[in-house]
Amino acid sequence: MMSSIKLKWLIVLFALAAPLLHSTRGYCAQQRNVELIAMIGKDEVMGTFNEPAALFYDESKQRLYVADTVNNRLVSFDPGFTFLASLVHENFALPMGIVKLSTGEFFITDGEKAKVIFIDVKNKIIEPLNIRNVPPAAERFLAGRIAIGGDEHLYVIDRLNKRILVVDRNGNFLRSITARGREFYGFNDVRVDDRGFVYAVDTLAAKVYVFNDKGRLVSKFGGDGRLVFPVSVAVDSRGYVYVLDRHPGVIRIFDKTGRLQYDLLKKGYNPGELYNPSYIYIDAKDRIFTIDGNRVQVFKEKR
Amino acid sequence: MSKNHGFRRYGLRTFCSLLGAAVLVAAATVFIFFLPQDVQSARRSTSFLCMECHPEAKELISKGNVHKPVKLGLCTSCHNPHASKHANLIGSDINALCYNCHDQRRVLAGTEVHAPVEEGACLECHDPHSSNQKGLLKKTASEACYSCHPRKDISAKKNVHPEVKKGNCLGCHRPHASDRAGLLTKDRRRLCTGCHSAKDERLVSSHRGLNVAKADCIGCHSPHSSDNVGILKASMHKPFKDRKCGACHLPGSSKVSRAGTGLCTECHESKMSDFNKRYSHLVNGDGLNPCVNCHNPHSSDEEYLLKDKEERLCFSCHEDTEKLTAKSNFTHAEIQKCSSCHVSHGSNEQYFLAAGEDTCSTEQCHATQGRFTHPVGDEVIDPRSNTPMNCSTCHNPMGSPEEFILRGGKDRELCIQCHQV
Repeated sequence: MMSSIKLKWLIVLFALAAPLLHSTRGYCAQQRNVELIAMIGKDEVMGTFNEPAALFYDESKQRLYVADTVNNRLVSFDPGFTFLASLVHENFALPMGIVKLSTGEFFITDGEKAKVIFIDVKNKIIEPLNIRNVPPAAERFLAGRIAIGGDEHLYVIDRLNKRILVVDRNGNFLRSITARGREFYGFNDVRVDDRGFVYAVDTLAAKVYVFNDKGRLVSKFGGDGRLVFPVSVAVDSRGYVYVLDRHPGVIRIFDKTGRLQYDLLKKGYNPGELYNPSYIYIDAKDRIFTIDGNRVQVFKEKR
Repeated sequence: MSKNHGFRRYGLRTFCSLLGAAVLVAAATVFIFFLPQDVQSARRSTSFLCMECHPEAKELISKGNVHKPVKLGLCTSCHNPHASKHANLIGSDINALCYNCHDQRRVLAGTEVHAPVEEGACLECHDPHSSNQKGLLKKTASEACYSCHPRKDISAKKNVHPEVKKGNCLGCHRPHASDRAGLLTKDRRRLCTGCHSAKDERLVSSHRGLNVAKADCIGCHSPHSSDNVGILKASMHKPFKDRKCGACHLPGSSKVSRAGTGLCTECHESKMSDFNKRYSHLVNGDGLNPCVNCHNPHSSDEEYLLKDKEERLCFSCHEDTEKLTAKSNFTHAEIQKCSSCHVSHGSNEQYFLAAGEDTCSTEQCHATQGRFTHPVGDEVIDPRSNTPMNCSTCHNPMGSPEEFILRGGKDRELCIQCHQV
């Protein structure tokens, strides 16, 4: 009799606590499932990745491009993620970021020289992009990661000056984007959505910044324990912000105002897990690409 | 009418009975709660009984300052006379026992807690019975400190801070907890000016007339001892040593002549290439000069003019790694410095490892690794991730709940992830 009463009380308590456990305001978010579509890392022809740092999916040509950083090369894959070709050239090293224009040219960031490199494969031109008319700053320009907007403007992280430079394909400076405040350490990754909103992550402050198409800050979130060591950011077709949190090995999904929606994946070495992830990318079909050590994994969310 | 009659008849008797009862209750209350504590305690004192068999304990309690329960003869407030799972028949874990009387919140008030306090090792410093020292310390305050913090590191150099010479450690440090790094009693910028007036003529002239009222004295001076004049720290930046302040500062000012890394790279340009790696530590923390996130531009007791002891410096940003290490049952043995394995500026290897996976298998460390143990290397592919296996595939040198800092249980859990039955 007593145990039955206790059981009833437990059920009542659980029912009351359940919404709290799944609260989107707390640090514990609902975990959703994803399907692992592909895992790329080693191929007989390609060899093995060596610390890839970034990737880009060309929607028009259905090609995946990976900046295979420590191998000093760019690698391409077909829609089935089979290795196609690699590009190595003395004019670039340690590619840290990669984007492609609709006209077929690439821009990458060279980690060794900390510059943006223009690559026109068809015309065999590989040369540094001369970024002009940048307002002077205290520090020299050292390029970090790179993103591309719908208007084909480039968004390049100016690492030491803690800002994002927006430039056109010819290197003409258009504007800069930055944040203020004592708890701002600089940007580690940047992404732009179809409407021109810019998403940037400050790893040390564990914060995500959202700017509008004019470069004005519209929201920021994190820095409250919900993110531990966010290293990369991406946006899906719904406008949800996917933040790759390296140390806990999860992807945390927020809405644009910073309300935590749910989590994807968990820490681990197994396929479909993340151990030491460094990059996230979402394509037009909302497939999620992650770089984790020497493997690239492709996921499709089960919604 | 009959009511009045009844009251006259019973009321007085009832009133007297109630008054008597109240007096008795009051007397009992006074007896129980307000009798002098010593008298009360004497009633519960067991020391007489204990001493019959433990005469040697008399010596334990005979020193100048006696712990209050001992003074009251309350041996059983700490010891269980019958049985205990703790040594010396202590009633419970020492940590819990002390906090029965001493307010834990007050003892631990602060963000920085002294390691033995955090570990509940109160008896490392305090004698639970009696002592000739204040605060029931086992030794003088400085001797107690030197038992863990070697004297040679603190006061063995040529020029010793007078307070250190006097053994007045507690003049600057709190023994239990503080809100400031180093368990300092005050903010480090205000601590020194408590004794050294910033307006003192000698002090002003030795700093070339600069106002040092808000300066971080400990940035350049050792607070304990040094072989240098003015107890300046052991290693000095060359321009500072040569008293060429103008190499970095505007004339007569503490302001630097150039903002940012440019100031440092004028002389150390080659260092910039260290940062241009796959993994880079080039972080512009405060927006002034990222070099001074880690280095002191004047002097330091540490190698490479580091601002603080290496471990403390690294953990000041890598808090979660510190937490992992602290809570782990097993950590990598005998590693004093982060830089034993990691490079601090930049690396093309994950985790900023100095030599990738070869970092582990150096001659000084695990020379035999990979020869007779589980094979590793480019040819051995981890079936879970389809990437080459290395030491950190199975071990986490920063700490693990598992023996051998394994990433899973050694009997089964870890192995079956790849070797499926």
